[in-house]
Amino acid sequence: MTWFNAWLERLYQTFIVADRYSVLIDGFKNTLIITFGAFLIGLFIGTVVAMIKVFADGNPKLKILDVLCNIYITVIRGTPVVVQLLIFFFIIFVSAKNGIPVAILTFGINSGAYLAETIRSGIMAIDKGQTEAGRSLGLSRMQTMTQIILPQAIKNILPAIGNEAIALLKETSVAGYVAVVDLTKAGNQIKNTTYDNINPILLIALVYLALVMIMSWLLGILERRLRKSDRR
Amino acid sequence: MIDVKNLEKNFGKNNEIHVLKGITETIHKGEKVVIIGPSGSGKSTFLRCLNLLEVPTKGQIFFEGEEITNPKCNINAVRQRIGMVFQHFNLFPHLTIMQNITLAPVKLKRMTKEEADKKAMALLERIGLPEKANAYPQQLSGGQKQRIAIVRALCMNPDVMLFDEPTSALDPEMVGEVLDVMKDLAKAGMTMAVVTHEMGFAKEVADRVLFMDEGIIAEQGTPDQIFNNPQNKRTQSFLSKVL
Repeated sequence: MTWFNAWLERLYQTFIVADRYSVLIDGFKNTLIITFGAFLIGLFIGTVVAMIKVFADGNPKLKILDVLCNIYITVIRGTPVVVQLLIFFFIIFVSAKNGIPVAILTFGINSGAYLAETIRSGIMAIDKGQTEAGRSLGLSRMQTMTQIILPQAIKNILPAIGNEAIALLKETSVAGYVAVVDLTKAGNQIKNTTYDNINPILLIALVYLALVMIMSWLLGILERRLRKSDRR
Repeated sequence: MIDVKNLEKNFGKNNEIHVLKGITETIHKGEKVVIIGPSGSGKSTFLRCLNLLEVPTKGQIFFEGEEITNPKCNINAVRQRIGMVFQHFNLFPHLTIMQNITLAPVKLKRMTKEEADKKAMALLERIGLPEKANAYPQQLSGGQKQRIAIVRALCMNPDVMLFDEPTSALDPEMVGEVLDVMKDLAKAGMTMAVVTHEMGFAKEVADRVLFMDEGIIAEQGTPDQIFNNPQNKRTQSFLSKVL
């Protein structure tokens, strides 16, 4: 088993010596913070944009907002997220010292554009009778949306929202472009200092995989909880 | 209670489909008005205009003297006093029966949660479904769903109830239970406007029957006049097909 011992020694040299693993832990934390923060921002923006687009349908007063939302979706979906990150860090927030808030904002804005369309499709799929029933009881448009339509829409699009969250987690791996040490950047740094081209990369791949599996598992639990009204 | 003046409604991109062609009508307090007519005659559209689920193209509608077709009117406040029951029930599938009934009164601050729960329970007792309080709509039969939908509207203490073909989507054996609830409601003095194909119900409950055809009220009168001695040719031919 000499190769095994050699491998263990290699791992020790790569990750333990000089406490290099602490870079990975920090990177892991940053990846989680960026993903979570960006997802919350994305969910908020996505919901607001989807609602504006739905309300604007047949309401000329919201026409301008609708156009702005369309521009937002077109621009964000039409450019790579890395480029957006560079624009935000080097052009808009020139004086930013810390890349993490910029990364959270950029990924949030990026995710919002995709989530907006997902959420809108969920809203459109709810039967018109639900809105009519809500409005006929005297609920306002907004109350009908938040109390009746959105809860049903979110339940239906949960798998798609999960997709977006998973994609977002992996997209944050380009955060290293703007001086953020995320998981990928941390692995890369260790690779460069130790000349170990294999283990750091495989390790971060495993970490991403594990994170995605945990997210899928949590989503499954959430979905089952929301489905409880479907049982007969 | 409800005054309708020269109501017109057009549909389509260029308003090319003329569904209501000038309706003037008054529904009085406590009156039970049943609207019959062939499909496409505009009877559902007429009913849906009364709480502005359809916005009229022309004409005015007054509810208790307030012009609801005026853009300045707070339609949400008016709708709290106009209950509506739909052909397809439109219960909220993600909420329990209790939550379905109490959502609007609580959110609109008409009642506290406790008051709403108590009233909902009393109404459920009245229609014989108290044990379904914590069930979800998918667990109920069509007839049960529609009775719950009626209760949901009633929990807001409306002044008038609109019924848009409440039994058309039901299995025949469930029509009776829904009509029974509506008859009880009528006996209790509720003002009602009902679009229906249930001629038996019209005969028994209606104070007045409106026969609609091609966007106008072609004929109206007591059930006795309409069913036993219709004057209009279209009324005669319609009734000969459905009776």
